[in-house]
Parts: sequence; structure tokens; C-alpha cells
Amino acid sequence: MNVVIALTITGILNLFGSIFSYRKITPLLSIIGLTTAIVFNSMYWNTNQSFFNHMMVVDNYAVAFGTVCMVLAACLIIFYNRFMGDNDHHLPEVLSVIVLSVDGAIVMVSYTNLLMLFLGVEILSISFYILAGLKKKDLGSNEAAIKYFLMGAFSTGFLLLGITLIYGATASFDLSVISEYVKLNSTSTNYLLLSGVLLILVGLLFKVAAAPFHFWTPDVYQGAPTIITAFFATVGKIASFGAFYRLFQMCFSPIVNEWSGVIMVVAIITMFIGNITALQQKNLKRMFAYSSIAHAGYMLLALLSHDYLGGNAILFYSIAYGISSMSAFIIIHIIQTQTGTDEAMGFAGLVHKNKTLAMITAISMLSLSGIPLTAGFFGKFYLFSSAIESGYVLLVCLAVINSFIGIYYYFKPVIESYFKDSITDDVIKLKSVETILLIFLSIATILLGIFPGLVPAI
Amino acid sequence: MTDLVWLVPLLPLIGFIINGLGFGKISKNTAAIIGCGSVFLSLIIVAGIFYEDLGRGGEAVQKTYFTWITAGNLSIDFSLLIDRLSIVMMLIVTGVGLLIHIYSVGYMHNDVGFGKFFAYMNLFMFSMLVLVLGANYVMLFIGWEGVGLCSYLLIGFWYKNREYTAAANKAFIMNRIGDLGFLLGLFLIFKTFGTSDFQRVFSSVQSFSSGDITITLITLFLFIGAMGKSAQIPLFTWLPDAMAGPTPVSALIHAATMVTAGIYMIARSNIMYALAPSTSEFVAVVGALTALMAGFIALTQTDIKKVLAYSTVSQLGYMFVALGLTAYSSAMFHVMTHAFFKALLFLGAGSVIHALSGEQNMRKMGGLRKHLPITFITMAIATLAIVGFPPFAGFFSKDEILTAAYSHSMFLFVILSLTSVLTVLYMFRFFFLTFFGEFRGTKYQIDHIHESPKSMTLPLLILMVLSAVGGGLGIPEALGGKHFLSEYFNHVFGGNTRIQSHEVSHFFEYGLMIISMVLIILIYQFTKQRYDKKVIGKSVEELKMSLWYKLSLNKFYVDELYDKIIVKPLNGMSNFFFNSIEKKVIDGAVNGSGQTVYFLSSMLKSLQSGNIGFYVLMMVIGIVAILFFSLINTITL
Amino acid sequence: MNTILSIVPIQYYIILSAILFSIGVMGVLTRSNAIIIFMSVEIMLNSVNLLLAAFSTYHNDAAGQIFVFFIMAVAAAEVAVGLAIIVMIYRNINTIDIYNLNKLKG
Repeated sequence: MNVVIALTITGILNLFGSIFSYRKITPLLSIIGLTTAIVFNSMYWNTNQSFFNHMMVVDNYAVAFGTVCMVLAACLIIFYNRFMGDNDHHLPEVLSVIVLSVDGAIVMVSYTNLLMLFLGVEILSISFYILAGLKKKDLGSNEAAIKYFLMGAFSTGFLLLGITLIYGATASFDLSVISEYVKLNSTSTNYLLLSGVLLILVGLLFKVAAAPFHFWTPDVYQGAPTIITAFFATVGKIASFGAFYRLFQMCFSPIVNEWSGVIMVVAIITMFIGNITALQQKNLKRMFAYSSIAHAGYMLLALLSHDYLGGNAILFYSIAYGISSMSAFIIIHIIQTQTGTDEAMGFAGLVHKNKTLAMITAISMLSLSGIPLTAGFFGKFYLFSSAIESGYVLLVCLAVINSFIGIYYYFKPVIESYFKDSITDDVIKLKSVETILLIFLSIATILLGIFPGLVPAI
Repeated sequence: MTDLVWLVPLLPLIGFIINGLGFGKISKNTAAIIGCGSVFLSLIIVAGIFYEDLGRGGEAVQKTYFTWITAGNLSIDFSLLIDRLSIVMMLIVTGVGLLIHIYSVGYMHNDVGFGKFFAYMNLFMFSMLVLVLGANYVMLFIGWEGVGLCSYLLIGFWYKNREYTAAANKAFIMNRIGDLGFLLGLFLIFKTFGTSDFQRVFSSVQSFSSGDITITLITLFLFIGAMGKSAQIPLFTWLPDAMAGPTPVSALIHAATMVTAGIYMIARSNIMYALAPSTSEFVAVVGALTALMAGFIALTQTDIKKVLAYSTVSQLGYMFVALGLTAYSSAMFHVMTHAFFKALLFLGAGSVIHALSGEQNMRKMGGLRKHLPITFITMAIATLAIVGFPPFAGFFSKDEILTAAYSHSMFLFVILSLTSVLTVLYMFRFFFLTFFGEFRGTKYQIDHIHESPKSMTLPLLILMVLSAVGGGLGIPEALGGKHFLSEYFNHVFGGNTRIQSHEVSHFFEYGLMIISMVLIILIYQFTKQRYDKKVIGKSVEELKMSLWYKLSLNKFYVDELYDKIIVKPLNGMSNFFFNSIEKKVIDGAVNGSGQTVYFLSSMLKSLQSGNIGFYVLMMVIGIVAILFFSLINTITL
Repeated sequence: MNTILSIVPIQYYIILSAILFSIGVMGVLTRSNAIIIFMSVEIMLNSVNLLLAAFSTYHNDAAGQIFVFFIMAVAAAEVAVGLAIIVMIYRNINTIDIYNLNKLKG
């Protein structure tokens, strides 16, 4: 499987960057490695090959989600280089961790064996623990790391117990065997299996930050370096949902009635907690952490759909959400380095400092809040209509109410940047590659909002 | 020309892109030419389409360009529907829109955000045209949100400080509530019909029986959307606040076009509404109550634009009554005439404000007829049109709605008649306070007073002509006329077999006309006596005192009687509606729900204690709960 | 192999693992020292290992025991990262009591 190999080689090459003193070119190296992996990945489209003795399969689902994760990671590395680049003595190592964690994401979206699910989740999570604590002297970063680490390890225990119980019931870790077993035994209740399913559900709900397993999210997102937070909120969440949907749609759909109630209740609580708590946040990173919780609530709706619609919906939503969150966090990062604050007032008068940035802020906020003619609208549209098709009308009503609550806080940075006066008049200057990248993300947002058919069906 | 229909929304979009990207680089003249030119070209195409449609005999044409969205068995086409309903709306939007664009060239000339203003206006035109042209509910909704967005952008055009937030927030919350209803209706349509295409939905809805619960729900949800956008009880209070925007915006968005989107939507869905009699009844009652209430509030407002805003709300109420009575073509008729005279009134008010260097308080105006002759004449016609004096436009369209109400229910008829009287009262009050008496403003203002430039007066004159003769499209049979408009719309509404007939005897119509004329003349005299004074006190108290003394000195006991039995109760009602209902109940509910959410928010915030031990505990409680309930469930089953 | 299970039935393993797992969870819940919390998590993982080995024998399938090795390897990686984080915190605030780490909240 060339993608994994390419990423791993890139990661290892990066690690040697400090020793053989080519650390300056490691960002370039990472980008080249990721680009190669993306090319390899796209070559697997429509091939449906299976690898490593049926431990992984590269179907269209895996290709699509893998590409999204890698593209987002590449964006991130471009910006990481700018803001950490010169004063960061561990640049090659950090880049290596980032690239290798993408490996974990790839495994998470293409596994066909619970062992690979576990490995993927752990590769991603352990890298994340390291990344959260990157600023060694910063107490916030320390706290984020320990919180993430302890709670993550704790939730891994539940995930593993779940996998074990399923193994106990089905005698296999292979998804196809498990799904056969579930199909045959869907009429009678098997407590071993059901407990296993529920515990895996808990483990994955933790990873996607759904209530009541969301408590780590705001603290970790706020404490971690902003650019890393962008990584958690996009790649981390998208890969987790990729894994989540794959498992529950492939294996456990025959017993959907046993777990759909849990998902419904969790989705409702998650949406409300995320959106309502976000209303009063002054710290933008924290606000976006809550917003990402709310988005997890919406995305849970896709798990409830009975057919392939859910997969398409969750893919589109992931792309829309990933692009917009990425640009939002990058802008917060830019403003944080400029003004030293990550609160909403840092955006005051942004339009006078850099028009492009203000416009991109507006576009990404519109998309996150789901206003028509942005990608976010169709993301929500697909999600909600897939849930409606499966008959969850009330749930969709609540989700729509929530998305309207959401609009309120997403407009805060926009109002700040357009209608408030700035404290300082410093112009924010960006390198041309960064401006181009941000504009590219915005154009993608608008383009997907007008032609949602651009995302292929999987 | 019909093949070029895609250019109609596209041209303003191109204008928006050029003006938006080139803001600051393009000169004011170029920006104005691009802004007006794109709308003008659209208007030409629309005129061509109108002409071709007449030749074709009114057959609806649906142009499908590409499949926009596919999700499972659900596919939404990007398609435009050209029928007589959309043609009339397009004519109104591009026609009135063009005039207002031209007007804005003069009105906004000294503004630094000139190019930005035209960019926003063009974006609005694009969204509005998508709204009226879209051939399915999704496209309608996208236009719906688009016009809402432009509305906020333009309300806040001049406000860079905190004042903006309150007004915008209110508009925001109320429109969200409306949109929520619309979206739920949209999803329900998908679920019921499996499509959102107008023609397919309306053909499959025929198999439902009248009063079907699903249809009733769909129509009710859609109406909630219309309540928000078209400012009906209880979601109307945002519209007067929206007057914070520049006056051309108030004329275009908050009077002539956007606020009628709700009426267009219901007229478009007429087949469904006719199948849901209880919703229709509800629509009519809400419309009637809104009309009455807004009419009352308009009586005591002193801000020139606020009077017109409440008047708009009131007139929209009229249109909803017509829709509720299944008199769809009458509603569209009133949409059209209202677009003419209300746009004219707003533009005239803008001209007055422009002349007085930004003064909006009517108590500080007066006697302007000498200084602003063109504005005065046009406003006079507009006032006569809105109060329904024959033969001006409002007379015919209002008359139609009144007769429809009479044939259906006495209750609605009485309320609407009462509202008509109120309309006459506040409009003449507005008219006299502004143009008659003596000037009550500052010396600076009187020195700088000037008639507006040509680019502003020309649209006024054109709209004046339209307001004067626009009613000719629907002369009732009682006057030996021919109802062109209702014949024109026959292709749209004729297929709906459930439209009730609104025939009333010609005798009644004559009576109605005569009574309304007499009433208008009486009220004219009354308001003239009351407001055409040389001196009118500046504050409310002073006004009452001075009048009181004057009247008792002159032994005008008739006036005193008037005051006691008409003016005081009216003012009382007006204050009651304004202070208690609008300020306390509706704003209170909006603010209250906001506060509740904020309270919840702080509760949830305190749950996030920062303590890992607590987080883990919550997780464990969650896990135990999930396991417990899921396993318990399987046992009981 | 199955002879072992005929002496000690599979249910016993399940119950033992469940008890061990719960002890781990209780440890995480009640302790405030980061290292001890971490050790409790390790108890949870080991109870899972035990159960996997038991199921592996029960099903006569080697995959379960291989999974155990993976868990051990991954847990080792986790320990390395976790201890590094704990050391980093100790250097900064001279304590590893988790109740001192609640600056991020709200």
C-alpha cells in the first residue's frame, strides 16, 4: 500500500533532518511526501484493492477520506513552517510526527480489521498527545497535553474492551466475518456482542468529541498551539468519523435499533451543549472547540441513515467542515501572532489590516454556519436530508434549530472584523503562497456551495 | 429572449463581482454605470420575455440547465421557471430596482462606500431574481437566504458601532425563526413528494384531499417563513428597525421587493394553500391583525421613515388577507401597486431627508412644498394612491381585497375597513406634517434646503406615473372596466379549482367606493385642520397643550369633541400597541429567549470545570447510562 | 488448551477481567496523582489483555493473542509519551497532582 509507505518514509526522512542538518528543507520534504501520497492515493480510485492480508481495503470511501486528510495536513504544514519555522528547534521532529499521524488517519479510514482500527486510532492519538504539548514551557500547552493524554488513554481502554467483547462473541477481528455474524444473529440479543458494540461506540464517541465525552475538547483545543488545534479539529475529527461510519455501517447496521437510540440522544445533547456553550465564549479557540463539538453532533446524524446516502453526506460535510475550520484556525493563528490575543477582539478592524483575510474570515464563517451558496450549506443539507429519508424528522428539527443558534456566534468574528475599529493599525502581511492557499480554500468553499456535484459519490 | 433568461440573474451578479472586487479602484461613475447598467440589461431581457410570453399565450416554460444536487433518489435541478407569476415579479424587481438604482446614484453620491453600496445592491438583485425565477423550493430558499443576507449587509451599511448590533440582532433572530419554519416545510415537502420541483409537487398534490394534515403542516411551516420575511405578527418588529439603512435600501428591499417574497411564495404555492383551508384562514387572520396593529402604531410615529415602515407592514397584512381568501391575483395586484407607491413614498422621503441634511423627525419639517416642488407633487400622488383615492393605483387593488373580504367574512371586512381609515389618517398626517404649515427645523437646514438632483427626481416622476395609472390594469367590472391582470394571471391561478369566487353585487361595490371617497375627504379636512398649522410644538406635551389652548380659545368645541372621541382613543391605542405589545411582549419574548439561552450557556460553562477528575466522572456516568439503558431496553423487549 | 477452560470456565475470565477493569476505572476516578491514574489505565489495558488471551483460547484462534502483543507494544509507546508529558509538567509546576491543572476551563 504505497500511500502508507510513502508517508512513513517521509516521516522517517524528516526525523533525520536534525542529524544530517537538512532541517531547512524538511517542510518542503513533507509537502513533497504528502503530495506523492495523495497522487498514489488517487490512483486507487475505483480499484477496491485489499492489502496486508485483508487488514486494509482501499475502496472509494478510503480514497476520498484519505485524500481529504492529507490535503488538510499539507495546508497545515505550509502554515506551520511560517509561524514556528525559525524559532522552533524541533521542526523536523514535529513535522515527522504530523506526517506519521496522517498515517494513522489513513489506517483509520481504510481498515477492515479491528486490530487496524486500534492501531490507527493509537497512531493518531499518541501523535496528538505529543503535538498538544509542543510548547514545553507553556502551562496551557502542558495542561492540554496531560488532559488529552489521560482521558485519551482512559477511553482507549473502553475501545479495547469493546473490541475484545466483540472478539469473544464472533471469534474474529475481521469486519466481514463480524458483519456476517451480526447479520445471522440480528434477531436474538447477544449481550456479549451488544456490550462490545456499545463500548466501541463509547471509545469512538470520545474520539469525535460527542457529549458527554467531549469535556477534553475545549481545554485541549484552547491549550494546544493554534496551528495544532487546527490539525485536531480537522484531520483528527474527520479521520475519527471516517472510522466511526465505516465500522457501524459495515458491521453493525443489522442491529441498528440497538444503538440508534444512543446515537440519537448523544447527537441531541452534543448539538445543544456545543452550540449553547459556544455562545458565551470570548476565547475564539475555545469557541471553535465548542463549535466543533456541535459539528460532531450534526455528523452523528449520518450514522443513522440506512443506506449509502450517509456515507456521501458525511464525506461532503467533512470536506466542507474541514476546509472552513482549517481556514478559520489559520486566521486565528495569524491574528494571534500579530496581536497576541486569541480572543474575538483580536479581529477588530481586520478589514483595515488585510482585506483578503477579512473576506476569508467571512466566507469560512458563513460556511460553518451553513448559509446557502457555501459548502457548509450543502453539507448540512445532505446530512439532514439523509436523516429525513431514514425517518428522523424530530432529530432534524432540533438540528436545524441548533444550526440557527450557531449562526449567532459564527458572526462574532465577522462583525468584529468589519464593524469594529482596531486597536492598532498594523497591516498584516502574508507571504504570497499563504494568501494563495487561503484564497484557494475560500474558492473551494464557494465552488462546492454552488456545484456540490464536484464531490464524487462514493 | 426566453432562452436568455439565465442572463437575468447573472447580469447583476457580474455587476456585483466587478464592483465588489474593484471597490476602491473603480471610480464612482464607473461603479454607477456598472450597477445600473447590469440591472438595465436585465430589465430589457425581462421585457423581451414578457413580450414573447404574450405571444405564446402564457404557457409556463421551465428551463433546466443542469442537475445541481443529487443525493440518493433525490435530485435537484438548477432550473428556472418562467410563467406569468415570475414574469410579473421580475418586471417589478428589475423595473422598480432600476429606478431605485438610478436614484441611489444621486442619493449616495457623497458616500465613501459608493462602490460597495452598488455591489451589495446588485447582489441583492441577483438573489431576488433567483428567488422569483427558481423552479423549485431549494432555489427559492437560496434566494430567500441571499436577500436576507443582503438585507443585513445594507441595514448595517452606515453603522460601524454598537447601535447596529441591536437592530441587526433583532432582524436576525426574527428571520431565523422564519427560516426555521421554511426549512422544516422544505424538508417535509421532500419527505412527502420526494421532490421540490414546483410543477411536480403541484401535480402530485392534487391527489390529496382538502384539509389533509400533511399539507396543512407544510403550508403552516412555509407561512412561518413568510411571517419572518414579510414582517407579520409576531415577527414584524424587525422591519421598522431595519430603517437604519440608507433610504434607497428601505425603498427597494424593505418596501418594494424583499418583503413581498413571502407573498410571492404563497402565491406560488397557491395549490397547496387552497388545499389547506385552515392554514388559509390563519393566514388571513394574521394578515388582518397585522394590518390593523401596524396601522395604529403608524399614527403616532414621528420618524418619517418609521411611519412608512409601519405602513408597509400594514399593507403587507392586506396582501396576506387576500392570500388567505384565495384571492391570489388580487394579492399580486396589490404587491405591484404597493411596489410603485411605497417605493415612491420612500424615495420621496429620502429626497426630503436629503434636502434637510439628514433630518428624519417630521416635527422638525413642515412647509416643504415650496422648497421641494417635484418631491411634493410626486408625494401627493403617492399619498392619494396609498389611501385609495380614485383613480390612483391603490384604489383598485385595495378595493379588490376589500370586496374579497366582504364576500368571505364580515370580521375581516370590518378590520380591513378600519385599517383603511387608519391608513388615511396616518398618511395625511405624514403628508401635512412634512409639506404644509411652516418650517420648524433649524436655520442651517433652511439655508441648505434644495431640490434633489435629476437622477433622484427622474425616478420619482416615473414612479409617480406608475402609481397614478398602475391601477388601470385591474379596473373592476362594476366600473365597466376589464380586469387585465386577473386575466393575465389566469394561466397561473386558473388551474387551481379551489379558488373561491369573490363576486359581490355591483351595488355594494359602488357603495364601498362612495363611502371610501367620502371618508377620505372627511379625514383630509380633519387632518388638515389638525396638522396644517403654522406652529406645531416640538414635543408631544407641547403639541397637546398648544392645541388645547388654541382650540378652547377659539371655542372650537367640535375639535374638542374630535379630540376626546377620536384622537385620544386613537393615540391611546397606538401607544398601547407600540409600548405594550411591540416593546414588551414581542421584543420581550425575543430578548427573553435570548436571555434563557445565555443563562443555559453559563450553566453549561460552569460544568466545564477544568478538572480531569470531574471529566472522567462524567464520562463514566455517561458510559454507565448508555450501557444501562441499552441493556435494560433489550430485556424489556 | 481447551483443558484449561474445562477446569476454569470462560465466564470466570470474563468476570475477573470485568473486576480488574472496574478496579482500573475506580483508580482513575479516585486518584489525583497523574502517574497513579496512568497506572490504573494500564490495569484496564491488562484486564483487556487477559480477556483477549482467554477468548483466544476459547475460540481456538491465535489472532486474539497476537492482538495482545499489539496492545502491549502500543501501551509501551503510550507510556513513553505519557511519562514524557508528566515529566514536562513536573519541571514546570513541581507537582503532578491533576487538581492543580485546571487553568483551562469554562
